[in-house]
Amino acid sequence: MNIKHIFTLLGKELLHGPRGFIITMTVAAPLLITLVVNLALGGFFSSAAKLAVYDEGQSQLVTLLKEAPQLHVTEYDSPERLKDAVSRGSADSGIILPSDFDNEIASGKKVTLTTYIWGESLAKNRTIVTATLLELTHELSMQPEPVVLVSITMGDEETIPWSRRLMPLTVMMAVFFGGLMLPATSLIEEKQKRTLQALTVTPASLLDVFIAKGIMGAILSLVMGIIILLINQAWGESPFYLLLTIILGAVMASEIGLILGTLINDMNTLFAVWKFGGLLLFGPAIIYMFPQLPQWLNYIFPTYYVTGPIMDISLGTEDTQTLIELGIALLVVILMAVLLSRLTHRLSGEVSKQTAKASEATSQ
Amino acid sequence: MNADLIMTLIKKDLTLFTRNKFYFILTIVALLSYILIYFIMPKTMDETLKLGIYAPGIPTMENSLINEQGIEAKSFATLEGLQEAVIKDEYPVAIALPEDFFTKLAKGEKPIISVYFNASTPEEMKGAITALVNQLAYLATGQETPLEIQSEVLGPDLLGAQIPWRDRLIPMMAILILGIEILSLASIISTEVEQDTIRALLVTPLKLHHLFTAKAILGIGLAFIQVLLFMLVIGGLSHEPLTMILGLFMGSILVTGLGFLVASLSRDMMGVTTWGMIITIIFFIPALGSLIPGMLSGWAKVLPSYHLTDTISRLSNYGASFSDISVNFIIMLGWSAVFAVAGITTLGRRYR
Repeated sequence: MNIKHIFTLLGKELLHGPRGFIITMTVAAPLLITLVVNLALGGFFSSAAKLAVYDEGQSQLVTLLKEAPQLHVTEYDSPERLKDAVSRGSADSGIILPSDFDNEIASGKKVTLTTYIWGESLAKNRTIVTATLLELTHELSMQPEPVVLVSITMGDEETIPWSRRLMPLTVMMAVFFGGLMLPATSLIEEKQKRTLQALTVTPASLLDVFIAKGIMGAILSLVMGIIILLINQAWGESPFYLLLTIILGAVMASEIGLILGTLINDMNTLFAVWKFGGLLLFGPAIIYMFPQLPQWLNYIFPTYYVTGPIMDISLGTEDTQTLIELGIALLVVILMAVLLSRLTHRLSGEVSKQTAKASEATSQ
Repeated sequence: MNADLIMTLIKKDLTLFTRNKFYFILTIVALLSYILIYFIMPKTMDETLKLGIYAPGIPTMENSLINEQGIEAKSFATLEGLQEAVIKDEYPVAIALPEDFFTKLAKGEKPIISVYFNASTPEEMKGAITALVNQLAYLATGQETPLEIQSEVLGPDLLGAQIPWRDRLIPMMAILILGIEILSLASIISTEVEQDTIRALLVTPLKLHHLFTAKAILGIGLAFIQVLLFMLVIGGLSHEPLTMILGLFMGSILVTGLGFLVASLSRDMMGVTTWGMIITIIFFIPALGSLIPGMLSGWAKVLPSYHLTDTISRLSNYGASFSDISVNFIIMLGWSAVFAVAGITTLGRRYR
């Protein structure tokens, strides 16, 4: 291993490497991932009923509805748009409030309101909308509440909102997506173009090439992870430790990429690995998102030992177990480095043989 | 057009595939894992809120809640039993009414109702139960509701017969299986271009259109067989099987067209990965719309995969017939032709 050679190769990768890929991975991918995971899936997992409102006047009911945590209220600027949104499933229900709604309620008159219900809306969401509308209209009409409700929380489990539950998936996708794909694709390409053979006749060793590609993948992975955490404002109270954990994850992603790049000879197989391997890679994030699944399943996935500490540190719940998990992650990284070193040695032998054969054929 | 030449090329590519055991095993394992995910997902949709009740001496309380649509109420004999059910999260929310509930109401006093929440219960659930209990209390006191609600259901009412998540996932999984084939076909073409075997092939009696026809047949075949097998095993062909098969075939043509486009945009394998990922992510967006209805607006119809997702979704989950979705077939064919022609023309120019 030669540090100078590694930096020369790294400089080559940075300056003349796949810019399109790097830009896609560092700019487009984190934004798309955050957008899809948080906006689409965040709403998907929330149990709040979606209510569409068209207010012909300036009803106070809309303000009260917006304050209710059980509802996600969206205002529309015409009855047609409201009905269209409900029929497409953008909302569970829709209401059109007449201009004199508040006055009618205040004067004690009984107001008839039509709720437009999306045919696929769940029974509980229909009930939530109706009960909330009735409760808030009572509030609007200044009727005193007939009972006193006392809330008692049982158990010591913390309520984790979906925006937080989805964080590991977002971080995992960011760290492992580019960090894994760049070294894997780059190595497969070098193998297909047989440029690795050309490198063996230079002073740089195959190990230098591997380390340079690994560092490149880890840097990309780290940048993506940092961007994702910045976008989601999830640095927590220990940004330094979080950064260290992400570095560990970036190295792990890069090592997996290098192992795949060494074992696989063509891009089709790499894409096939993604079809199946993606499930294994993102397993811990999925288990974390669904608390009803047995949590011990996490221990099967090496990526858990990075995701778990990332979550603990960003939520401020780190403890001894976090340290143990980080230790295991470090062990996995070391074991993969040993495996990678053996694979590099094997590949180096194969490349030397191919070079010898090629030079023999040329001399003949 | 020389069928023998095309067949020879297809055989060549298939031989290369069969030699790569790792690729084959992974493709099968991936397909099996999708099937497994489908079968482990719940068959039914839980439409109800689970609510525990402790109301000594008020049996009518449970009955009035059972009558509420979307509430699954269970009465507990003791307060301890109720609290234990909440702690174990068997019932994430529960209410306990005092024995003198109605007496106090009759006197005009405000009885205290204890609402127990499991610590992991989300805020929206707490708000929902609070609104519901308040509403029931208004009813119990005989206070007249200032609002009369009339309901109008838009579209077919699926109350009690909701589409379970696993069936909502069908279009998404089919799109995933097909979408990866964009990358596979682009990679096959790009390999020929990069290794310059394409030039070697063109010095034989083979013409460029033979080569592209063979690649197109291979791409369509690989995508179609996988997605068809998936749909067959999960029972996705139970309704309008011929229309569904036609839809999947059109989808396979569409991803093949996109594969040509990705290959034409890419100079090397890194280009295939970059362009392939961008196009595949865009390709997957309409599938999210089938999983989360209402998420996508009208603009999604511009995306070519929208019509494929819509076809699979409406056939597998909404009982659509051929006439309902025939327009999708025409649009898909149009898009496929545009992509294939653009890709083939660009690739062809490099070798003419």
